[in-house]
Amino acid sequence: MRAAVIREQRERHGRRIVAVLPVHYPKPLLTAMNVLAVELWGPPGPPRGVDAGRVQPYVCAIVRNAFAFLASGAASEVDAVLTPHTCDSLQGFATLVSDFSAWPKPLLHFQHPKGEDRQSLRTFLGRELRHLADGLAAVTGRELEPAALSKALALHRRIDDARRFLLTRRRGFAGSDRELYTLLRRGEYLWPADHFRELEAALRTLQAQPTERGIPIMVSGYVCEPMGLFDVLNEAGAFVVADDYAGVGRRIPVETLAPAPDPWDALLAWVLSMPPCPTRAATQTARLEHLWRLYEESGARALLIHTQKFCDPELFDVPAIRQRFAARDVPTLHLEGELELAPSGQASTRLEAFVEMVQARQWGSA
Amino acid sequence: MSVRRLQYEVAGRVVGPAMIALDRWRAQSRRLSPSARPSPFGPPLESTRKLKELMQLHYLQGRYADGAVPVAWVTSGFPVELLRPWGFHVVYPENHGALCASRRLTPELSDVAEAQGYSRDLCGYARGDIGSVLSGRTPVGRLPKPDLLACCTNICQTVLYWYRTLAEHFGVPLVVVDTPYVFGESAPHELAYVEAQLEEVCAAAARVTRRPLPRDALAEALTLGREASALWGRCLATGKHRPSPWTGFDGFVHMAPVVALRGTRACVSYYEHLLLELEDRIARGVGGIKEERHRLLWDNLPIWYRIRDLSTTFAEAGANFVCATYTNAWAESAALIDPAAPFASVARAYTYVILNRDLANRLRVMRELVRDYAVDGLVLHSDRSCKPYSIGQIDLKQKLSAELALPVVMLDADHADPRAYAEEQVGVRAAAFLESLA
Repeated sequence: MRAAVIREQRERHGRRIVAVLPVHYPKPLLTAMNVLAVELWGPPGPPRGVDAGRVQPYVCAIVRNAFAFLASGAASEVDAVLTPHTCDSLQGFATLVSDFSAWPKPLLHFQHPKGEDRQSLRTFLGRELRHLADGLAAVTGRELEPAALSKALALHRRIDDARRFLLTRRRGFAGSDRELYTLLRRGEYLWPADHFRELEAALRTLQAQPTERGIPIMVSGYVCEPMGLFDVLNEAGAFVVADDYAGVGRRIPVETLAPAPDPWDALLAWVLSMPPCPTRAATQTARLEHLWRLYEESGARALLIHTQKFCDPELFDVPAIRQRFAARDVPTLHLEGELELAPSGQASTRLEAFVEMVQARQWGSA
Repeated sequence: MSVRRLQYEVAGRVVGPAMIALDRWRAQSRRLSPSARPSPFGPPLESTRKLKELMQLHYLQGRYADGAVPVAWVTSGFPVELLRPWGFHVVYPENHGALCASRRLTPELSDVAEAQGYSRDLCGYARGDIGSVLSGRTPVGRLPKPDLLACCTNICQTVLYWYRTLAEHFGVPLVVVDTPYVFGESAPHELAYVEAQLEEVCAAAARVTRRPLPRDALAEALTLGREASALWGRCLATGKHRPSPWTGFDGFVHMAPVVALRGTRACVSYYEHLLLELEDRIARGVGGIKEERHRLLWDNLPIWYRIRDLSTTFAEAGANFVCATYTNAWAESAALIDPAAPFASVARAYTYVILNRDLANRLRVMRELVRDYAVDGLVLHSDRSCKPYSIGQIDLKQKLSAELALPVVMLDADHADPRAYAEEQVGVRAAAFLESLA
């Protein structure tokens, strides 16, 4: 599917293609420069090819798989790779790929700043965005036009609004969780305008009357793989009403952004408007407050924390999240995966047991 | 002077020195009965006693620091010189983690953290530290509670997640010096960012202590920090001599002051003393091991709980670790610090550290160490607890082995947690490696 999209975008629209590693990057900038971002979350499954052994097994599957994927030449159709400065492992990935001949084409970096919002951070971020624009210009052979950036930001604001609306009005979406997430995740590789058309179509199908399909739950984690977990969840009698996946909910600004006269200021505001994420070192206090607000506003009745093994940013926050939610008597389950193609029997059983337990509590309290 | 401050000063000036004198007297008594066991090592470094005293005093005084003086918990790569002018008592959780690890306490402390939900896949230092914070258990008696947490990402991002957790636990401010990773060379806007954050650190320290920055004291701390790092570099360079007057494992132990006391007069004095002793050993032809037949390089953190065993295994085969990328890290950028341009120079020095630079630089550093220290073989510790240090080692091993035609071995372990250490596997690999040197 992705290969077909890439070919079509290149051949019909003359767009350059950049493979982007997780998680946060200024996508409107790429759109403005006529660059299709194709995100590389692994891909799932065991790492492929002889280069898989070049990264230790105690590094997360996203990095191991992505490295093996690139080194095997499977991404030869893309023009460059962009690695955001997400964590130690992706930082190591970036230098390994570029310094030790795993990727012959340009490698771009986006060093998104860490920590609380402060003056130095804003100044740096503004310059880093321009620095990335220069790198993209070298790939595309075209300079950024400010008007194109304004236009791209307007499009992405509409996309963000649509995605937020779909997630907050989940009860009105007729499809399954897998269908919802498949739709949302098509934004990882579709041209944004095409993705927006699909989102608009989905919005038109939203039912005015919300439907309860079982136990409403909130999910938090890094990436929703394997997607089969949603099938297990739905079949067990639960469905997702709030999302804090790094790859989904944490990339949608909390509120609709007002346009700014200067497109660079607007892009900076867009980057800074995302919900708290440990990969950007938001304080735990801010993150916990955000999660609790999301939980309450969604009417969820349980929390599923779904992390990837060896994912330091997520794993450091798990105890604090569990404690905060346990103190408020919220049932919580922590599932850990390794980017499997399908949920393991153990994961499925735990998920089913969790939903049954929450159902039993609900009936007991009724 | 408050009672707490009085206790702090008494601990540092009276009780600590008295305890040290007592320990010294006991040690002299023990020396009367020499060990009958043959040792492959040269005579022990006299400075080790001084080191122990220095660190003992630091931790003893720390027990009374909170409420007496401002207390900061900082990462090992943080530009601590900036905090010295305010008289912060500085605690290094990583140094404390190494101490816990070398005393094999990490599993016990980690159990406490794991019981709270912290994954065993997280850094062993972090798990040990969080376990210590939650349980109050520590081999140093007591750690003072911080007034400020100071974190620099130049060694890893993990410290940032770890310190966020501490900030939530203690409810104190966390200052971050975010150092963009150096691919080749830093861009001007990246160094400007680090520089601006250093000024923000000073503003945060001024808020915590309610005192403005004493600029003269800052210049002095930077001068002392630079001197200590330069002296440490000279100590390490004595390893170029054949035989090396000490072992690489000695180096791991003796790096404690340059990590934990950088920017103080005591740190400089300590390394002046150590350097004199090492130079004296060179003059007298005294080696770190008795028969130095092979000279090795160690890459990555040490395996703290197995230092003695591993050093003995290698020393018995006539192999000495004459250099290490890890110990070298606290010496390599000292020259960049200029007290006349404090923020700009510190920004560059603390950004250009080995763990914040790409693998091409790491390969270059390792090649230079091999050349300068006349190394015959390399041991790479693939450290489950330290991803930034370990990613790329498989390629480094292949490249160095092919380019330099030297034996290279990789040992899988964890710097702090013995539960991730396979005795047989490490033993077999080390034995095969040592055979290849012969």
